[in-house]
Amino acid sequence: MSTLTLRDRYLAMVRMRRFEEACLAGVADREIHGEVHLGIGQEAIAAGLLGYLTDEDALVSTHRNHLHALAKGVPMYPLMAEIFEKRTGLCGGFGGHMHIFDLPRRFSTTGIVGSTLPVALGHAYAARLSGRASVAVGVTGDGGANAGGFHESLNIAGSLRLPLVVLIENNEWAISVPFEESTATATLAERAVSYRAWGKRVDGLDVLAVASAFGEAVDYARSGLGPAVLEATCYRFRGHYEGDPDMYRPAGDRDARRRDRDPLLITRESVVVEGGADPVSLAQEEQAIADEVDTVLAAVRRDLMPDGMQARDHVFTRGTAR
Amino acid sequence: MSIASEAAVRNVNVSQCVAEAINLEMDRDASVVMLGEDIGRSGGVFGTTRGLQRQFGPDRVRDTPISEMAFTGMAVGLAMEGYRPIVEIMFVDFIGVCLEQVYNAAAKIPYMTGGAVKMPIVFKTAGGCIGSAAQHSQCLWGLFAHLPGMRIVVPSSPYDYKGMMAAAIDSDDPVVFIEHKGLLLRKAGSFAHGREVPRERYLAALDRAAVLRPGSDVTLVTLSLTVGESLAAAAVLADEGISVEVIDLRSVVPLDFDTICASVAKTGRLLVVDEDYLGFGLSGEIVTGAVERVGTSAVRHVLRHGVPDVPVPAALSLEQQIVPRQASIERAVRKLASRS
Ligand SMILES: Cc1ncc(C[n+]2csc(CCOP(=O)(O)OP(=O)(O)O)c2C)c(N)n1
Repeated sequence: MSTLTLRDRYLAMVRMRRFEEACLAGVADREIHGEVHLGIGQEAIAAGLLGYLTDEDALVSTHRNHLHALAKGVPMYPLMAEIFEKRTGLCGGFGGHMHIFDLPRRFSTTGIVGSTLPVALGHAYAARLSGRASVAVGVTGDGGANAGGFHESLNIAGSLRLPLVVLIENNEWAISVPFEESTATATLAERAVSYRAWGKRVDGLDVLAVASAFGEAVDYARSGLGPAVLEATCYRFRGHYEGDPDMYRPAGDRDARRRDRDPLLITRESVVVEGGADPVSLAQEEQAIADEVDTVLAAVRRDLMPDGMQARDHVFTRGTAR
Repeated sequence: MSIASEAAVRNVNVSQCVAEAINLEMDRDASVVMLGEDIGRSGGVFGTTRGLQRQFGPDRVRDTPISEMAFTGMAVGLAMEGYRPIVEIMFVDFIGVCLEQVYNAAAKIPYMTGGAVKMPIVFKTAGGCIGSAAQHSQCLWGLFAHLPGMRIVVPSSPYDYKGMMAAAIDSDDPVVFIEHKGLLLRKAGSFAHGREVPRERYLAALDRAAVLRPGSDVTLVTLSLTVGESLAAAAVLADEGISVEVIDLRSVVPLDFDTICASVAKTGRLLVVDEDYLGFGLSGEIVTGAVERVGTSAVRHVLRHGVPDVPVPAALSLEQQIVPRQASIERAVRKLASRS
């Protein structure tokens, strides 16, 4: 079990929310070009991962990846700079928001839905080959769980008992298609039995519930028993991407969910009421986080875009493509 | 432009033209069915299927799970059952997860069966650079074109988006219909060519190129979004005394060499502008095919302007260096025209 307190996790969630809001500002000012996917409303899942993974463990995320990057310990500055396509970014501005790579922290992403689990499986196999007691986390949305790579990867992991942890963020929608319309079973966690995997479904708005379930999943996989499937339920607060008119979801339901079931507010309430936190000092810490993010945003905004003359670099390790 | 033809320009965007074509085909032929992600309830991420599910119901306009391998293969089975499926692969980049069913099944079955089995499938998909980096910006028509058995069409004007979609659905061959994300939301009135889109059903030829602007110094062959960019470039270059003949390919497979060669025989200079990767693709095919047909003495100079063989980068400063657009097209024409 991790030593992190509820307050620690809450403050991590605040940091994640502020980070996403900084990205929103970048969209509004047209600094980020291309359609960016934010994880607002899904912070309790990412914050639940904290404390269980080291740099030896891998995490492979999706198009909606910012919060997972922060949870994996990717530093905020080069992460935001990459999202803003700056030369100071993790990938020098070549990757962009859907293609975040931080090799030392074994963090990577893909914009192709369903392509995360196979890569995570490779990390899990590397752990086996190198005799490392590490795990590989592959993240998918509920939609991505219906891509073939989900089945193929989990079957391999199950048959070889590889330390693959599949984290499904079930936010009920895959763009405009609701979960129950696209999926044969009532839950995704119940698929675990098909792969001889550990499986659990958890309330993804409850950061402590996520933390304890994720801890179990990681322990299971790390101990060599095979893969684990953790399904965390949540709700996508914003459109699929920034700019999505989001006309396909009932607006009344969406507004109510955002108002009444905001994991940030729910968690804050617990920190204050159950944890007895002093509201004044908590507010100070929240402000400090907001200031930290603002400072990073201001610095990223001052950074330069990559030099256009380098557009043909990096195709091969040496020499040019043409 | 005359007043009469101005009046004929409707206030529709390109996506609406596509939706209109599919609507008319589905209405007249109950065997036309559609499968894809977000095509029903939301009407497509670019609106190219708006209203279809409401009109024809969820069985004929099916929102699928994100299971491209399965629903692309479904189209093959449906075709064998006598249906005429339209499959939407939201972005052409996603073809990587389901190319199998496209090139090993749909494209080969008519041939493998000695012509006994038809595959009247439309693979409808969107390509092109709009700032979405390496995995969401590709064109890939050259990739499909390399694989035998499919017609590959790439319209550039509102008129063709509608008429060629109708013809693609009407065709008994598998047709890959590649839209450009940067054109779909543009209004018909903003185009310099093919702005007038009849309300009624019509079919536009699937296999003919079109000379959009006559010229005598340089033959510029292009397709999709760079057609408009090339027309704009040609207008600028005309003021500099360079006369550019602009050919809109419309079809990648088959290539209309008659039209290309007639022009090249006249100008002696061939420039291919292609938003797809430069190497091993469309531009090389056109140049080689033209030289083979009209001979090296008739084609005095050739030049290709495409995406150099690098993935599309995220940052705008990098993207602008590699994606052909009006200014870079003008530079390419000047370079070619200056050769004597
Ligand atoms: C192979 C592939 N198919 C389709 C897409 C387009 N697409 C991007 S995200 C998305 C929905 C993903 O839904 P889900 O996995 O539930 O994740 P969420 O967006 O809800 O976080 C789709 C269809 C894609 N990027 N890759």
